[in-house]
Amino acid sequence: MPKVQDNLIKYDPSKFRKKFKILLWVVSIALFILIARMWCLQVIKGDVLRQRSKDNRVRLREIKPLRGLIKDVKGNILVGNRASFDISIIPEDAGYVNAVVKNLEGLYSSKGLKLSGMNILPEKKRRKPFVPIKLEREISREKLAITKTHSLDLPGVVIDVMPVREYFLGEMMAHILGYVGEISHSELKRDIYGIYKTGDMVGKYGIEKCLDKYLKGGSGGEQIEVNVAGRELKVLGKIDPVPGYNVVLTVDSHLQRIAQDAFKGKAGSVVVMDVRDGSVLVMLNKPSFDPNLFNRGISTDNWERLLNNPLHPMENRTISGMYPPGSTYKLIVAAAALEEGLITPKTSFFCNGSFTLGDRTYRCWEKRGHGEISLHRAIVESCDVYFYNLGKLIGIAKLGEYARGFGLGAKTGIDLPGEKKGLIPTREWKLNRFKEPWQMGETISVAIGQGFMLVTPIQLLNVYCALANGGTFYVPRIIKGIETAEGQIVKQFNPKIKSRIPVSKKNIEILKKALWGAVNENKGTGRVLKRKEKDVCGKTGTAQVVGLPENDDEKKEETPYKLRDHALFVCFAPYKNPEIAVIVVVEHGGHGGSAAAPIARKIIDGYFDNIKTENAKLVAIGQSR
Amino acid sequence: MKFDRRLLFNFDWVLLFLVLSISFIGVLNLYSAGYSLADLNGKPLYVRQMYWIMIGLMFMVICFCIDYRFIGRYAYVFYVISIILLIVVFFYGSGAHGSQRWLVVGGFFFQPSEVVKLTVILALAKYFDDNQTNENYNLRKLLLPFLIALLPFLLILKQPDLGTALILIVLFLSMAIFIGVKWSSIISAAISGIVLVPLCWNVLKNYQKERILAFFNPERDPLGSGYHVIQSIIAVGSGGIIGKGFLRGTQTHLKFLPEQQTDFVFSVFAEEWGFLGGTVLMGIFFVLVLWGLNVARNSRDLLGALIVFGVTMLVFWEVFINIGMVLGIIPVVGLPLPFLSYGGSSMVVLMAGIGLIMNVSMRRFILQQKE
Repeated sequence: MPKVQDNLIKYDPSKFRKKFKILLWVVSIALFILIARMWCLQVIKGDVLRQRSKDNRVRLREIKPLRGLIKDVKGNILVGNRASFDISIIPEDAGYVNAVVKNLEGLYSSKGLKLSGMNILPEKKRRKPFVPIKLEREISREKLAITKTHSLDLPGVVIDVMPVREYFLGEMMAHILGYVGEISHSELKRDIYGIYKTGDMVGKYGIEKCLDKYLKGGSGGEQIEVNVAGRELKVLGKIDPVPGYNVVLTVDSHLQRIAQDAFKGKAGSVVVMDVRDGSVLVMLNKPSFDPNLFNRGISTDNWERLLNNPLHPMENRTISGMYPPGSTYKLIVAAAALEEGLITPKTSFFCNGSFTLGDRTYRCWEKRGHGEISLHRAIVESCDVYFYNLGKLIGIAKLGEYARGFGLGAKTGIDLPGEKKGLIPTREWKLNRFKEPWQMGETISVAIGQGFMLVTPIQLLNVYCALANGGTFYVPRIIKGIETAEGQIVKQFNPKIKSRIPVSKKNIEILKKALWGAVNENKGTGRVLKRKEKDVCGKTGTAQVVGLPENDDEKKEETPYKLRDHALFVCFAPYKNPEIAVIVVVEHGGHGGSAAAPIARKIIDGYFDNIKTENAKLVAIGQSR
Repeated sequence: MKFDRRLLFNFDWVLLFLVLSISFIGVLNLYSAGYSLADLNGKPLYVRQMYWIMIGLMFMVICFCIDYRFIGRYAYVFYVISIILLIVVFFYGSGAHGSQRWLVVGGFFFQPSEVVKLTVILALAKYFDDNQTNENYNLRKLLLPFLIALLPFLLILKQPDLGTALILIVLFLSMAIFIGVKWSSIISAAISGIVLVPLCWNVLKNYQKERILAFFNPERDPLGSGYHVIQSIIAVGSGGIIGKGFLRGTQTHLKFLPEQQTDFVFSVFAEEWGFLGGTVLMGIFFVLVLWGLNVARNSRDLLGALIVFGVTMLVFWEVFINIGMVLGIIPVVGLPLPFLSYGGSSMVVLMAGIGLIMNVSMRRFILQQKE
C-alpha cells in the first residue's frame, strides 16, 4: 500500500496539538454550561419546580371531535353520535384501590345496581401506578349519576366520556354507511401526513371510510390542573375541537325501508336509481350486518360469525357481486344487431324450442318453441333461440364492443370502496386465461347472458337507466353534498355524465317499447309488474349458476341451494318520461319472473304511491315557507 | 489479511467499558420511562433496546476487525450507497408524526439518515486525507467536501428531520475547522450564513418554525409546541439534587412528556436521579469524548485521526444538543441522546462508530513499529 505509507509519512501530528488543546477547552465549557443549567434548574429553582410538579399536575388531554352526521336526501339523520361513559381507576391517585372499588360497589348495590364490567382487579404487583384500570365500559345514566355525586369518596375514580357512533337504522344501510373502528397499525403506517394518532376512530368501510377526512373533524385539547389525589381542579387552557362535516346522501331511507321489507328472508341485492341524474335512491344488500357492533371494537365471536357466514353479510353485492346477467343482457344483443344493421324490427327467426350448432343443441326455455318470432316478441317472451341466432350473426368481438359501450367490464365510478369491474369475455381473454381458443358455442351462451359474462347489479341497472332516459350514461351518485355542522354547504356532488350509449334514438324507442311489452302484454315474462297505470317497462333474467341437466324444471326444489339459479329483474317507470329504475337480484332464487319481479313490484308501488306524494308535500312545505 | 496477535493486547477496554456503562444506564432508564405506559403490542422498549445493543455490538466487532485504512478506501462507495438509501426512503419510506424516515427491511425498521452520519464522516475523512496540503483551506477548496455534506442534508431536511440534517452540517464544520480553514474564509462564511438565515426560515415546515418560536417564548403556545419544553423543564427541575428515585418520577409517569422514550429521555433520567445522577452521566460522556479525542491525537495517520475525530464530534454534538434541548437552552430540533434514547438505527450506528474508534486505537502501535 504505497499510498497509505505516503500519507503516513506526510502526516505531522504536531500540527494538530494546539487544536486538541482548544478542543479540550470547548468540550469542557460545553460540559460546564450544561451542568450550570442543571444546577440552576435542579438546585436553585428545584424547590419551585418540584412544587409545580407536585401540586399542580397539569395534564394535557385531547378532546375528541364529534364525527359528522350522515343524512339521507330528505335530511333524516341516519348516523349520529351518542356519549358513552367508561369508569376506570388510577391506582396512584386512589391510594387503596381495593377499598375504593369496594366503596363504589357499595354505592351501586344500595341502589340495586352492580359493577359488572370487571370482577377481578389485577394483583397489586402487576398494577402500574399511573395506568388507569378500566372498571366498567358504557355505564348507565344511573351509575353515572352515583359516581359523579360521590366523587369525593371515590379518589382516583375517573369517568371517560367517549363519543360513540350510532347507526339509527341498524343493518338497513350498513353497506352504504359502513362502520368505524380504532385505527390499525397498517393504517397508521400508511398515514404519511400524520393526520391520525393511535387510538383514533376512523371509517373502515362504506361512506365512513371514503369520506373519513370530511367526517372526522379536528381534535381539540385541554390543559387540566389536577391535585395530588388526581382530581381535576380547573381547566387552564382549552382549544375547542372542530366537529366533522355532515354528509348528505342521495338515498331515500323511506324507500330503502320499503325495499328491505319486500326483500325479507332472501339473499341478494336491490338498487334503485333516478334515471334523470344517476342518483342512487336505494342500495340494499341482504343479508346485512349491524354497524353498531363495531362501535367499541367488535367481539371476536361476532366478528367470526360475520366472517364465517356463507352468505357473506359484509359484502356490498350491489357493486362487488358479479353475476351472469341472464336474459336481461338480451337487450344489449338486440341493440347491437339493430345498430349494426344485421336485423330490422321485422326480421324474424323460427323457434322450434331448440337451436343446433355443430353437434350441440341449445334449448329455448320454452320447450314447445315460439314459432316464427321477430324482435319485439322475442324480448317480450324472452325467446332464447331468437338471440342464439343474433349472437351467431353478431359474433363475440362486436358483442364485447357493445357491452363496453354500455359500460360493462368497467367500474361505474360510484363513490364507494370495493367496486368490481365485472367481465366481458373476448377471444384474447379466453386464450390468456384458459390457453384455449374461443368456441362458437360460447358466443351462443353469451348472447343470452350466460357463460363467462359477469356484471355487477349497479352496472346492469345503469344500462337500463341509460335506455330509459334516452341514452345518457351517468356515473351513479350516492353522495349529494357535504355541509358544515351549521348546515353551510362545503362541497356539492353534481350529477356527472359519463358518455352516451352507442344506440340511436329510434332504436332506443324500439327497445323501450319491447320492454314495455315484456311487462304489459299478455305473454310478457314480467307480467307481475303490470299495474293499472300500465307504466312499467322491465326485463326478467335467470342467471345459471351451473349448467343443469335437461328436464330439471320439476326438480327445482331438490336442487341444492348453492346450485340454484339467480333471479334477476330490471325495470324502469313510467314508460313516458321515466323517473326511476330498479334492479332486484335474488341469489339462488330461481326464475326472475317469479322470484325477483314481485319485489320490484312492491318497490315501484311504494315509490309511486307513497314516496312521490311525500316528495310533493315536502316541496309544497318548502314553497309555503 | 493476517491476524496480528498484538491487536488483542492493544484492544481499547476502557472505551468498551464506557460505552457499555452508558448503554446499561440507558436500558434502566428506558425501563422506567416505559414503566407506566400502557403496553404496546410486543415487547417493551427496554427489552428491544437490549436486542439493539447486541446487534450494535456485532457491528462494533465488524468495524474494529477490518483495518480502517481498508474501510477508508471504500469510503465513497459507502457514501453513495447511503445516499441511494436516502433517495429510496424518499419514495418508499414509511413514517410517523408526519415525516418519512424509515425503511422496512425484513420486518426491521431502520433510518438511513442515521447511517448517513457515519458515511459522511468516512467520506469527509477520505477526502481531507487524499488532499493534504500545508496551507489552510479556503472557501473554494472547501466547496467539494461541503457538497458531500450538503446532498444528504437536503435529502434529510426534506423528510423532514431538521435535527439529523443539521448535525451533518455541524459535523462538516467541525472537521473542516479541525483540518484548518483560513480566517478570512471563516469570516466570509459566517457573514453569508447570517444573510441566509431569513431565507432558510421560509424553507422550514410550519411545525419546525413553531418549535423554534416556542423556544424563545415557551408560554406562547403552552398546549402545542411549547408544551414539551415546559414539561421537560419541570421534570428536570423537580428532580432536585438527589432526584425522586428510580420509577418515582411523577412527570414521567403521569405522561407529561410525549417523547419520553426517545428525544426527551434525559428528562426522565434527571427527574429520577437528580443533579447528582445527571452530573455523573454527563461526566461519563465527558470522559468518553476526551478519550475519543485522545485516540484521534495519537493516531498515526490523518485518515485515522479524522475518522475518530468525526465520530467523537458526532457523539459530542448529539449529547450537547440533546441535553441542551431538554434543559431548554437549545430549540427542540429532534436529536437522540446517544446510547440512551430508544432507537435501533441510532444505537447500531453509534456502536459501529465506536468500533471505528477502537479500530484506530488498537492499530496505532502496529503502525508505530513499521515506522
